[in-house]
Amino acid sequence: MSQIKFPDFVSRLLAIYFFCISVSVFSQNANTVSVSGEVTTPLNLTVQDLSGFKQISHKVKDRDGKEHEFKGVALIEVFEKAGVTTGSKLRGENLAKYALIKAADGYEVIYSLPEIDPEFTDQVIILATEKDGQPLPNGEGPFRIITPNDKKQARWIREVRSIKIVFAKD
Amino acid sequence: MKLKQEISSRTKSGWFVISLIASFFLFCSLIRIFPDRKPQPYILKYPSNFGGRFVIPENNPTTKEGVYLGRLLFYEKKLSAGNKISCENCHLQKLAFTDGNALSVGVNNSPTARSSMSLANLLWVRNFFWDGRSPSLETQAVFPLTNQHEMGQTLPETVSKLRKTSLYPPLFKAAFGGDIITEDHVLKALSQFERILISANSKYDKYLAGTYKPTLEEQRGMALFQNSPVPEKNIRGANCEHCHGGPKSFKELFHNNGLDSVAADIGREQFTGQASDKGRFRVPTLRNIMLTAPYMHDGRFSTIEQVLDHYNEHIRQSPTLSSFLIDVSNQKGGKTLLLTTSEKSDINSFLAMLTDSAFITNPEFSNPHLILKSQ
Repeated sequence: MSQIKFPDFVSRLLAIYFFCISVSVFSQNANTVSVSGEVTTPLNLTVQDLSGFKQISHKVKDRDGKEHEFKGVALIEVFEKAGVTTGSKLRGENLAKYALIKAADGYEVIYSLPEIDPEFTDQVIILATEKDGQPLPNGEGPFRIITPNDKKQARWIREVRSIKIVFAKD
Repeated sequence: MKLKQEISSRTKSGWFVISLIASFFLFCSLIRIFPDRKPQPYILKYPSNFGGRFVIPENNPTTKEGVYLGRLLFYEKKLSAGNKISCENCHLQKLAFTDGNALSVGVNNSPTARSSMSLANLLWVRNFFWDGRSPSLETQAVFPLTNQHEMGQTLPETVSKLRKTSLYPPLFKAAFGGDIITEDHVLKALSQFERILISANSKYDKYLAGTYKPTLEEQRGMALFQNSPVPEKNIRGANCEHCHGGPKSFKELFHNNGLDSVAADIGREQFTGQASDKGRFRVPTLRNIMLTAPYMHDGRFSTIEQVLDHYNEHIRQSPTLSSFLIDVSNQKGGKTLLLTTSEKSDINSFLAMLTDSAFITNPEFSNPHLILKSQ
């Protein structure tokens, strides 16, 4: 059996390289929701991070026809932390931006920014982390969008992994 | 007299030289025309209900020359170690570009890790392979070409073999310009060919276009396929459309469909590193499903009946089992779908509507080397 021998500095470089890879794989491992795209500060938030935000609850009927109490944070607050163009900045070309929200299984939904902004609407869309006092279960959490005024729950996207703010390009 | 003759012969040879020079320039300008001749765009045809959500890389537009070259490469054994196999080995047109085997055997005579996938309507796919690890056809192609259980040959070796042929260099030049075959161009040409493999002429497409009236069995099967069961309202269903809905019969989703309580193959988790992706696999298209047995990522089911039995009766619980497969039933409080035998047979009839015989016999997708040989 022939063995490949690397010079010392090469093997050190390789060690650093593989360390970086394992760190990046590990960092993906933690359950986070990312906020990226047209933002000033991209975010990677854990449930713990969100517990530091103002908590909001909605008692709403889910697809099972039963009422549940969902607790989480206002999506607008997350957007403000990330530096999305909200409030007075939500005008002009920024009205052609939307939030593309993706779930772990690849499911995707979009919201236009005014649908989320309190200067446009009284509805408070939340990024929920709890249901009936418990963390959201497997297959639903750890993050789920709750949009109380949507009669159909198709945009109450479960297992949210990423939120990307995007300009409509057409 | 002698002087006159000399002058006249000099003038003659002068004219000769001038015409020689002129023809040289003319020749140069002519051969310049050929490299400048741009590849002709290949127009992709598909029904409008398939939608336009696809991306063709800007640096690899689909062209007639590129598609033809890609087709030759798809059926080219020189792309494999020992010139043993081509892509066709695992992707036969008559089986909607699958191979009829649970796992495929490549150049090293050992089986692949997962079952060969159908190559239909890849234009709309955004995450390739059972675990979705490749974001484009161009990046996807590297895996089967170089994997030791598949074609097992490095790209430099492939390029070097192709450069030695008389067939390929001018075809690469026509498709991509440049005088030398590159690895990048091999991948791009293969991708161009794969993009044109559009299946849109099944009975189901004709039904959607209003030109085919389904039989009663097909109609009942279609309703069961589409509906989610609501026993309270007497709506019976198999909820297939949750993942396989729409004219293309797949959604860009990854699910754990309850094959095992402990997954032997962790599926998408291998790529994302997320534990919640354990046992999740790509939702494949159901186009030509009757031709693409055996089924699932490991080809464990040899018949479509076994697949229906699985969804109806044998869903295995696990922490990452997709929630829409839990406690979905046609009976109030039921734990499984509880479809009847005749309902399963109706669904079968509907699935047969997805067979596209024009796709599997389209001469544009067939082995062009056979035609070249006969010429």
